Amino acid sequence: MENKETQKTNVLDWFIEGARKGWDISIKNMMPNIVMAFTIVQFINKLGIMDVIGTIFSPIMGIFGLPGEAITVLLSAWLAMGSGAGVAASLYASGVLTMRHVTILMPAIYLMGAQLNYMSRCLGISNLPKKYWKWCLLVCIINAMIAMWIMNLIA
Amino acid sequence: MDKNKQKTEQTRLQERSDLGMSQKVGVAGYFALIFAVIFFSGLLSDKENWASAFDYSTLTGNFGTMSKETATFRGIGGTGAMDGFLFSITLMPAVILALGIINVLDKLGALRAAQRLLTPLMRPIMGVPGVGAFVCVTGLQSSDAGASIIKEARETGMITEKERFILATWLFSASGIMVNYFGSGAALFDALTVPIIVPLLVIIAGKFIGANIVRIVLNIKYKGSDISGE
Repeated sequence: MENKETQKTNVLDWFIEGARKGWDISIKNMMPNIVMAFTIVQFINKLGIMDVIGTIFSPIMGIFGLPGEAITVLLSAWLAMGSGAGVAASLYASGVLTMRHVTILMPAIYLMGAQLNYMSRCLGISNLPKKYWKWCLLVCIINAMIAMWIMNLIA
Repeated sequence: MDKNKQKTEQTRLQERSDLGMSQKVGVAGYFALIFAVIFFSGLLSDKENWASAFDYSTLTGNFGTMSKETATFRGIGGTGAMDGFLFSITLMPAVILALGIINVLDKLGALRAAQRLLTPLMRPIMGVPGVGAFVCVTGLQSSDAGASIIKEARETGMITEKERFILATWLFSASGIMVNYFGSGAALFDALTVPIIVPLLVIIAGKFIGANIVRIVLNIKYKGSDISGE
């Protein structure tokens, strides 16, 4: 023990050094990005364009065996996983979505879920250069589409 | 000669001081000014109207309230920038703790050990070295901790820029899935036609599919060499 304490850096110092990095990255990378994301969510909610997008996308949703309204689940999931699940639950309760629809949507809600939020957390904290972020977003949407296609087969 | 030089310098200085007046203002500038006046004036602050999306105080939003016992300091039902601010504060302890612990583990050699043991497994699955397994195991529970490991591994040179891209994509899609799936997903468990483990397995498979899409595209586009840094 004494030997360890006389060393220049001990475990506690290592922790503090890392924790300080955590503070810096939270304040400088994560917080500004999250404030922006929440503001965009508020903007979209107030603008009320969710319904309009729903009607536009209904043919695409048909490919996966889903009604047009299902896009609102995915769009709200894209903003926040919890709200995507919430919208799906409320549409299921009102009879717009069947059990089969919910099952198809389930993995997609998470695979493309809360992107704005996690963009700052995953991609920001891991320090991936911003120019690659759009490709990560795209891959998540591809993931969601693959998942809906798979679920359409097994649901 | 000297006089001329002085003169030109004087005119140059004058020009500089007049800069604000003489610089050309494009149409966009005037529109931006009109927008700023409307945005900050509160003219569109009517909460029921869609135009309130262009109002400063609406976008600033509200803190949530704490009337319920389950509420944390973030409150329930907050909106906009204010809610985002408090939300990011709720995440900070986890990030600070994760980076602190990871720094200790890294100094003790845990990342290097994972690198040595798990590289034969991770290379074929995802095209990343063994430290990637550490990211996967941690990332299923906590995206912040997973991302911290990626950052640390990149900074110590254990992974290349390509491999960071692959791992970040794996982490990003369905992030923190264990917590999220059994948290918010529970609302939908009764409405599933398959056992609840099935969608979860599809999600995890999807994470690997996405990471491999990035891997394949990067390998085609940047054959052999690493993608340049910043």
